[in-house]
Amino acid sequence: MADLKDGKTTGHQWDEEEGFPLQEYNNPLPRWWLYSFYATVVWAVIYWVLYPAWPLADGFTKGVWEWSMYKELKQDLDAVAVKQKPFNDRLEKLSLKEIASDNALLQFAVSGGKAVFGDYCAPCHGGGGVGVKAGGFPTLADDDWLFGGDLETIRETITNGRSGQMPAHLKSAGGAFSDAQVDDLTQYVLSLSGKSKDAAAAARGDTLFRGEAACNSCHGDKGDGSLKGTLAGGALPPVGAPNLTDAIWLYGGDVQTVRESIAKGRTGHMPAWGNESASRKLSPLQIKQLTLYVHSLGGGK
Amino acid sequence: MGQQPIQQHLYDYEIVKKFSAVAVIYSIVGFLVGVILALQLAFPDLNMNIPYITFGRLRPLHTSAVIFAFGGSVLFATSYYVVQRTCKVRLFSDFLSSFTFWGWNLVVVLVVITYPLGITQGKEYAEPIWPIDLLITVVWVAYFINFVGTLLRRKVEHIYVANWFYLAFILAVAMLHIVNNLAIPVSLTDSYPIFAGVQDAMVQWWYGHNAVGFFLTAAFLGLMYYFVPKQAERPVYSYRLSVVHFWALSFLYIWAGPHHLHYTALPDWASTLGATFSIMLLLPSWGGMINGIMTLSGAWHKLRTDPILRFCFVSLSFYGMSTFEGPMMSIKTVNALSHYTDWTIGHVHSGTLGWVAMISFAALYHMVPRLWGVTIYSTRLINFHFWLSTVGVVIYIVAMWISGIMQGLMWRQYDAFGNLSYSFAESVAAMHPYYIIRSIGGVVFLVGALVMAYNLVMTVRQSGNGSQRVAA
Repeated sequence: MADLKDGKTTGHQWDEEEGFPLQEYNNPLPRWWLYSFYATVVWAVIYWVLYPAWPLADGFTKGVWEWSMYKELKQDLDAVAVKQKPFNDRLEKLSLKEIASDNALLQFAVSGGKAVFGDYCAPCHGGGGVGVKAGGFPTLADDDWLFGGDLETIRETITNGRSGQMPAHLKSAGGAFSDAQVDDLTQYVLSLSGKSKDAAAAARGDTLFRGEAACNSCHGDKGDGSLKGTLAGGALPPVGAPNLTDAIWLYGGDVQTVRESIAKGRTGHMPAWGNESASRKLSPLQIKQLTLYVHSLGGGK
Repeated sequence: MGQQPIQQHLYDYEIVKKFSAVAVIYSIVGFLVGVILALQLAFPDLNMNIPYITFGRLRPLHTSAVIFAFGGSVLFATSYYVVQRTCKVRLFSDFLSSFTFWGWNLVVVLVVITYPLGITQGKEYAEPIWPIDLLITVVWVAYFINFVGTLLRRKVEHIYVANWFYLAFILAVAMLHIVNNLAIPVSLTDSYPIFAGVQDAMVQWWYGHNAVGFFLTAAFLGLMYYFVPKQAERPVYSYRLSVVHFWALSFLYIWAGPHHLHYTALPDWASTLGATFSIMLLLPSWGGMINGIMTLSGAWHKLRTDPILRFCFVSLSFYGMSTFEGPMMSIKTVNALSHYTDWTIGHVHSGTLGWVAMISFAALYHMVPRLWGVTIYSTRLINFHFWLSTVGVVIYIVAMWISGIMQGLMWRQYDAFGNLSYSFAESVAAMHPYYIIRSIGGVVFLVGALVMAYNLVMTVRQSGNGSQRVAA
């Protein structure tokens, strides 16, 4: 393996006692390497001329293009703002219903609402509003609603938030009922969706449901929830009590989870995103877009 | 002992052995913590709700273990080995040698205790609290005196190029460490940096980038300049190139830090300087690669039979690739895509696993048999380790390239109305498969290190009574 440019070494030698001694050839700098290095220096100098580069006693060299990242940011933001302004102007003026009936405007609102949803709502309600069962966060992509799925109610929910309170029933958890009674109630609740395996217990639970435990005062006489259900023929207060007769469960529909809900109660909390007294994270315009987006997810009424 | 060459007898190999041994241990610990973190990113439940092993506390433990415990021990071991052999003189002071060993390991122990407890000063790659920083400073000054003292007492006229790089590393790291850690202590564990706001950020990244520049680049180039020609049994390609690229690298590197702070509160002009100096740094960095590869070029046939040389060759290749990638990523428009994404993580690991770790493995395989006076236990296992390392790194960085670029593109994707197309959480979900692939790459690399540890332990055990005879 003759080396092309070997020639002689520098004549210096180190570490020769053991193995091959360290020596150095003195090959010239590879031309391509040197010229490439010069090219990067030239590139840098051109860059310095065009862009802000060197600090001075009172400021810095601005560069002939007078570029700055803040200018660039402003240009980008302005370009988007110009594009969005006609839409935003109409969004502000028109009612939710009017926007929903204008397809182009609705698309714009849904696009903006989706971006807001991804940052603020998806952490609890899941991407696309599919819900997160473990935490009791409702699915927004179906037509099962706790407080209502029409545009105005959704806006109200987002703006002022919601609280849901299911009291604890088991004595040891601060309630008034024994273990056996809680079991009976559980069986009755499961029987509403045809899932009970103990008809006798369910029958005892039925009596408790509209008697001593007064579950019907929130969930309705038929257990179909505060939104749809009725109490002695009259409407129920809007407390967000879920429909127990369908296959949709906020916390889970297996025996253990239903019993847990009855025994220890549940607390649901949806923050207020547009309330003056709250942190007010979202503007009315954003909430409008968000409302239309949530409404569009599949279950809007 | 009498039959040894007199110079060999003079050298202090005990200290080199000690640092080599802890380097192997720390490499495994550091890689293992890395694998745990990779798995935690893919499956966050793996932190098991134990605060001490959450990502935020383990991540600095990983970086410190691999850079300072593993990398640092390799550098102590090799610099002490190289400076003695190229100066034909024993290390300046046995006491200082020993002091640097126990001091450095005490630093590692303190770091391992404090980080998981959440006791840090919150500066990346400079997390130790001020009392540990002071200890590091004292150890580093001892290292400097020991190294320079040895150079001054050398029995040969010229200082070999490897030693320039080691000395530049020791000096630069001293300066960086001291300036970045200037702080006013308010208690045993807390302090406030004397710089504020963006100036503190700038000092931090001046430090952070040059930790890469001098700790992981210049120092390991020193290592390369000794072990590549020695293992290849070839003279270094060009003395002239080594001089030019040494000074160019040392001068240019120190400016490059601001490229970590593009599009932040850092003024535009500082950002420009960081980017342009990074671009000018490309060829000086490549000088080391050229010198290494061209030194190997007379010994291509040896690559077929010598897996240590393969380690050298592949590590120089990764070095060339990541020192090309780095300047590209420092350009503002590229950085706008790459910054804060996994691309950066992939870039760092192509440098640290591909270059630093692989050249370190080569050095350990070269040194250990010579230190203990035996032959290597198994060359086939070195070869196996070589393939595990290479495949592991490639899996790792390809996964991070795809994931990082995808992440950057998702963040900047707008729909027809000018609204963001993806939420942050969607980009996280999209990265999940690549996080799993990355973990696999990490596991493969870790297995390689375990193979090395086994091979080296078996090698050392051949020396039986632990005699210090050195193979001629």
